Amino acid sequence: MQLKDNKHIGIGFRKDFSEELLDSTVLKPAFIELAPENWIGMGGYWKKQLDKAAEKFPITCHGLSLSIGSPDDLDLDFLYKIKKFIKQYNVQIYSEHLSYAKCDNAHLYDLLPIPFRKDAVKHIIARIKQVQDILEMPLAIENVSYYTPVAAEMDEATFISEIVDGSGCNMLLDVNNVYVNSFNHNYNAKEFITKLPLNKVSYIHMAGHEQISDTVIIDTHGEAVIEKVFELFEYTTSLLKPVPVLLERDFNIPELEELQTELTRMETIVSKTWKKEHVIA
Amino acid sequence: MSLLKESTHEQQSKLAEYCKTGIVPELTGILEENLHHYRRLVFNIGIDTIETAYPITYRFLPDEIWDKLVYEFYAEHKCQTPQVWRMPLEFYEYCVEKDIQGKMNLPFLNDLLYFEWLELEVHTMDDIPYPSFDTEGDLLNNLLAINPEHKLVKFTYPVHILAATELEGKAGNYFLLMYREKESGKVQCMDVSILYAYILEQIQNGLTLQAVLTDADSLFQINNFEMLKEHAINFINDLKQRQFILGFLNK
Repeated sequence: MQLKDNKHIGIGFRKDFSEELLDSTVLKPAFIELAPENWIGMGGYWKKQLDKAAEKFPITCHGLSLSIGSPDDLDLDFLYKIKKFIKQYNVQIYSEHLSYAKCDNAHLYDLLPIPFRKDAVKHIIARIKQVQDILEMPLAIENVSYYTPVAAEMDEATFISEIVDGSGCNMLLDVNNVYVNSFNHNYNAKEFITKLPLNKVSYIHMAGHEQISDTVIIDTHGEAVIEKVFELFEYTTSLLKPVPVLLERDFNIPELEELQTELTRMETIVSKTWKKEHVIA
Repeated sequence: MSLLKESTHEQQSKLAEYCKTGIVPELTGILEENLHHYRRLVFNIGIDTIETAYPITYRFLPDEIWDKLVYEFYAEHKCQTPQVWRMPLEFYEYCVEKDIQGKMNLPFLNDLLYFEWLELEVHTMDDIPYPSFDTEGDLLNNLLAINPEHKLVKFTYPVHILAATELEGKAGNYFLLMYREKESGKVQCMDVSILYAYILEQIQNGLTLQAVLTDADSLFQINNFEMLKEHAINFINDLKQRQFILGFLNK
């Protein structure tokens, strides 16, 4: 994706602050990201806002309902709508969650954990290939936060790596999700990151979260990014080639100055780490 | 063809079903103390979406009745749309199919839900190309161009006029014109009589006002064409001022 002025950091385009963002001289993301589900088939006021946004910023898409890990068949009608949307708005990156949100013909509108199993790996590889063939572009798959494993037969990093290797897809590395999972499942976040297919990372997500007990963090996207996640971000970017980075903020939207402060901090980090020769694992 | 083993599919189905119903399943290798987060997160998305779409019904129904209705919907219904903002339509359709208004003895409930959904639908519906039109023409004999982004609906209860607490015993024939303003995207509502609803419907079907009024004069047994014409022209001029009637179709 071509980014202006060597800037790398974008922000999630949310209806809650779309008007402010479009008029803002304070918040200056390099690009915006949106969920196509929230905009496809929408006209009127919101279509106008989207068109204005598209004139001002490059757009990436981050899907919610493709349900790549579902036992159900892919919804091809919906996939073709996504394809049309991607072309209409010249979307350069389309990512989805490595999870499932639909099962037994019922959408659930949230991200459920897939069993880390060999048969699930094969199932998902075939589905990603089908998606990529239809879209005629690579899909980037995001490591999701999860609060319990289900019927796992392998570890998460192996599960992700085998899917990325087998499908040829890209990876959206969500640094906050790694932190959340390392806390909830008691593993070392940096070690986990080195086990991922870092040469396939095409996109990074950063976000805030909420610790609700001594043992559980919920991935809320409703708080500022914490210091430890910034530290993990710096470590992660030191292992990667330059890629676009997105700040996700979906709830408790603060003043735009605060969001820009987070964007600036991330830009400062990557301007340091991506100035050097990069280590690609 | 799915490459999933039946046992993997089964684990996924059990977790999904738990999120819908809250009935704890037997799952392998889970952190039991964390499972409830999934039910909570899934259910909260559903309930927030429905409450946002139906604020009047939500406020009108007692909390325990509303909660039970939403719980049953989520447990029994398989949501079909991949777009969560369209899901409230399925909630309305579920209530109609299950005759919730009959079970609650609230005969206006379907109308109320549909009215609330309609506002969302008209606000968000895909853009419809406007017809080509002239601003000058003959009101009676030229075809009129109307804002295509509208719904003209009939209700049995005046849900668009009265508060939900005042609807009991008000059954009748009520018509609502709901349309989206082109520039602002705002939704406007207008209560119309059965006569004017007929006139609008026939204009929409491609008749001139003159032809519609000729039909209406006998159909509604008015037998006073001049009076009908005067009232109808006032009505049409009002709709022109509101920019619902755009002008005269350019053929």
